[in-house]
Amino acid sequence: MDLFTIIIWIVTAIFLIFSFKKDKKSTKGAAKKALKMGKGMASGLIVTILLIGLILAYLPPDKIAQFVAEKNLMLSTFAAAIFGTITIIPAFVAFPLVGTLVDASISIVPAVAFLTTLTMVGIVTFPIERKAFGTKFALTRNVLSFVFAIIISLIMGVIL
Amino acid sequence: MKILTKLKENKFLAFVILSYIATFIFKSDVGLLGLSNSIYYFKELLSIMPVVLVLTALFDLWMPKDTIVKNLGKNSGFKGTVFSFMLGSLSAGPIYAAFPIGVMLLKKGASIRNVVIILSSWAVIKVPMLVNEVKFLGPQFMVVRWILTVLSVIILASIAAKIVRDEDIVLEEEVQQKGVSINESACMGCSMCSRGYPELFEFEKKKAHVKVMDISKVDKQKLKKAINECPTHAIKYLEV
Repeated sequence: MDLFTIIIWIVTAIFLIFSFKKDKKSTKGAAKKALKMGKGMASGLIVTILLIGLILAYLPPDKIAQFVAEKNLMLSTFAAAIFGTITIIPAFVAFPLVGTLVDASISIVPAVAFLTTLTMVGIVTFPIERKAFGTKFALTRNVLSFVFAIIISLIMGVIL
Repeated sequence: MKILTKLKENKFLAFVILSYIATFIFKSDVGLLGLSNSIYYFKELLSIMPVVLVLTALFDLWMPKDTIVKNLGKNSGFKGTVFSFMLGSLSAGPIYAAFPIGVMLLKKGASIRNVVIILSSWAVIKVPMLVNEVKFLGPQFMVVRWILTVLSVIILASIAAKIVRDEDIVLEEEVQQKGVSINESACMGCSMCSRGYPELFEFEKKKAHVKVMDISKVDKQKLKKAINECPTHAIKYLEV
């Protein structure tokens, strides 16, 4: 667990204690609600995580990075962005990966596209997002994130 | 209907399990890698999800609606943007850990634009990750990417707010049906209501529905319990 996660746990614990002191009944209700929310999301999340694990076993991101690095710039940027959309992986896993892609590639453009779609756009996690916010919201957010991932990467290629 | 939704959910599960079995038969090392990947991500989720859910419920309990509207609502302006970035970028865990918070904030009057900012910065602009990014990609890379991403997220969120209207997420609460109604966009299909009061609530396409029922026969106690227990406050009751 990283420092920030630990801090969030501590802050939440303090918050919970204060809340409990102020209003026992409502806090119990809130705790129950949290538990129920968790139960409601659990089955979907477990299946999604199992699928993410399997996809990453078949398509290890470092292999993708190597594959993408060998193509020409526009093609590799697009390919990197597309591979990044398949699933969402946490940022702290993504950074070292993208580091290897930068080292292997002729340009940082595909690496940035990969990083952005990897963390922001997820086809596998789409059902969970749709369930939470509705189809239109989830679709709009994912599509726009994909477009801006390409824009960010191209601008970075010009600047750096 | 309940069986149908169960089956539909299990279809996904069945598909994943079958994929694993097939993988284990033909490429057992890939299957093992898949499982160990999953365990890794599962641990990661467990390290953040419980605390996010508790925080969401506590915020829901103590944060007055006015405060949310004022600081994250449609007219929160620049301040709202800054708050959203702070909320999102001080986070831990993958973007889907932020979904319950986003839903709760939307319910309480945060604007779509600001919720998109929170989700996006939760994904990709992470203060805890800055050190990592510098370590693997260099300070110049980090600074330029950070600035570009913040700008992009602001534009992206504004466009998203133009495309997605409030009605797409929150049904107009003012124009409410008399009797029991369910805000379908808010319902996240946790099935709390149908478990607590199966005579009144049923499930169709992962959303709760109110069964046609004589309103005078509704058990007000059970209904009240269902309304209070619904994690997204999707159940509404207007006295007939």
